[in-house]
Amino acid sequence: MLGAEWPAKTRQREKPLQHSEIDVRGCKINVRRGGKGEPLLFLHGAQGLNGHEPGLEALTADFDVIAPDHPGFGKSDLTSAVEDVGDLALFYLDLLEAMELRCVHVVGQCIGGWLALEIAIRNTERIKSLILVNSAGIRVKGVPRVDMFVCSEDDLLKFLFAAKGGTEWLQSWRASPDMEDIYDRNRAAAARYSWAPRLCNPKLDRWLHRIDVPTHIVWGNEERIIPREYATALKDGIAGATLATISECAHMPHIEQPRAFAGEITKFIRSAAR
Amino acid sequence: MKIFIFHLMPYANLDMSYAEKYRAAWVVLPNTYFDPKQGHELYNRYLDELELAAELGFDGISVNEHHQNAYGLMPSPVVTASALSRRTKNARIAILGNAFCLREHPLTLAEEHAMIDCITGGRLITGMVRGIGAEYFSLGANPAYSHARFQEAHDLVVEAWTKPGPFSFEGNYYHFDYVNLWPRPFQQPHPPIWAPSTGSTETIEWAAHPSRKYVYLQAYSPTQSVARYLNYYRECAQRTYGYTASSNQIGWSTPVYVSDTDEKAREEAKPHIEILFNKLLRLPFEMLFPPGYLSAKSLKNMRSHKHSVSGQEHTIDTLIRQGIIVCGSPDTVRRQFTETHRLLGFQNLLCLLQFGTLPRDLTEKNIRLFAQEVMPALQVLTDKEYAGLQVQAAE
Repeated sequence: MLGAEWPAKTRQREKPLQHSEIDVRGCKINVRRGGKGEPLLFLHGAQGLNGHEPGLEALTADFDVIAPDHPGFGKSDLTSAVEDVGDLALFYLDLLEAMELRCVHVVGQCIGGWLALEIAIRNTERIKSLILVNSAGIRVKGVPRVDMFVCSEDDLLKFLFAAKGGTEWLQSWRASPDMEDIYDRNRAAAARYSWAPRLCNPKLDRWLHRIDVPTHIVWGNEERIIPREYATALKDGIAGATLATISECAHMPHIEQPRAFAGEITKFIRSAAR
Repeated sequence: MKIFIFHLMPYANLDMSYAEKYRAAWVVLPNTYFDPKQGHELYNRYLDELELAAELGFDGISVNEHHQNAYGLMPSPVVTASALSRRTKNARIAILGNAFCLREHPLTLAEEHAMIDCITGGRLITGMVRGIGAEYFSLGANPAYSHARFQEAHDLVVEAWTKPGPFSFEGNYYHFDYVNLWPRPFQQPHPPIWAPSTGSTETIEWAAHPSRKYVYLQAYSPTQSVARYLNYYRECAQRTYGYTASSNQIGWSTPVYVSDTDEKAREEAKPHIEILFNKLLRLPFEMLFPPGYLSAKSLKNMRSHKHSVSGQEHTIDTLIRQGIIVCGSPDTVRRQFTETHRLLGFQNLLCLLQFGTLPRDLTEKNIRLFAQEVMPALQVLTDKEYAGLQVQAAE
């Protein structure tokens, strides 16, 4: 695991992500993009993005990082064409086409991981590798999960973060009325796509055999929203998949352990995905 | 004015120390707190209370739907309405409301309502609601599609009641190849539809639409909010749709307690009404308003104005002061309703005469006193006593 001793040279190559807007069949999507290298598509989770994701900046040292707001999240349009994660997967295949992206490393966290899985079982033509971070999507029966929708805000922070970084993260959403609106908007969009069945497609595991690209699974080891058993089940379901865990980390590795998060992804892509 | 009695059928025997262990009397409160033997007693007692009101000349008796909670034991108001339909002769039976959109198959409810309407010879009123936020946890329905499904379920049910079948229904959420309702409702074209709500501007705008003109029923709220939303209905009809809403389209629902004097009323009602608001209605914001349940605008509104009656610790004094309940001597209660009617012009009033832990004897006394001393003075009120739209309504 790469921790505090992140090479200074790597750090120098990091770039801030810049906003732009792309049009996918009439739906305007807000995209953050930065860095040089092979394209890496980051699919965000239920909490969305607000610019305070040091893990994404860390990845810009080695990759061309592309992080869109999903339809209905952040500053992206909501489109009636996209009602569930299956629709979202087809939407993203259109997005890859619209952006003319090929040989993309797809990193998905939480419902973004679910989305990555739904894309990959449909079509991996433009995908070079898959990295699933605390990924939703499948259902492991009998494993209790905490519910991020019913819990109080205090509990939510405890579920998202292993340490106390959650307060700071929440503060970043309270920075302006606009940010507060986006926080509410993201929660509503997350419910739209993942309310029932909660955070999963019960049929997804029937199709995992279709995933034919190198796959790595990364999990915060204090995760309770999508417990560790899910990581193991994904590893068992996807041929050749590998699994790494990040300590002192819960649901949000890209924020709570950005170096370990970026390190795991970079290491995997440099070896297996070559 | 038409006067209805309204019942929630609370689980009054709840061990109130539950609140030390659980954050709500909904969704997460284990059903081991429910004792079926006591449930048997309560259901029969509550049905007796509604039947008594029908005998005493109330214009209607009313039931509603809530799931997986101790606040109201009517996951299916169709069951209670059915039980009442053969035990009453003249009173309207109002289901206020049923959450058609929580069902994957709203036609089953459309059929059941048509049955009750036929059995009662056209005494049914059908309330259509989305269900409160907690219901979306309990039944796994997606709150983000709640408004859209509500409207589509309504369209499906009204078509099923009015269009000759069989026909096919091709919606976004509901798809049926054979819609052919047997029985059709007794009332033509269909039972009156009411829209009860805690104050969603989307619901008000929908109900006030000229193609519907449904009765908007404001569920108990501070007087300020009641005024705001009832006036918004009238303003919306006037400004957006270009017609003057009839006062018959306006309704208000509130807990009421009457006793010999103001002091006595306050004293008798106090423990029971405080249990309703502080224990049975105990619902954190996250359960009341799951993500997507309210539009962005309504959510902000709800946060900034704290319209919600839950989420704050109440005493009988705060409840009376804010106008959330009406409590006092017959004279006080009569005057308060008459004055509020003068200002807001509602021609439908729903009185919650049993609440929280209010026991059988006090409930019966309340129903009788209200029926004898208050109701006659209200039933004669008409639009003539309404002062007209005075204040600026909600934006």
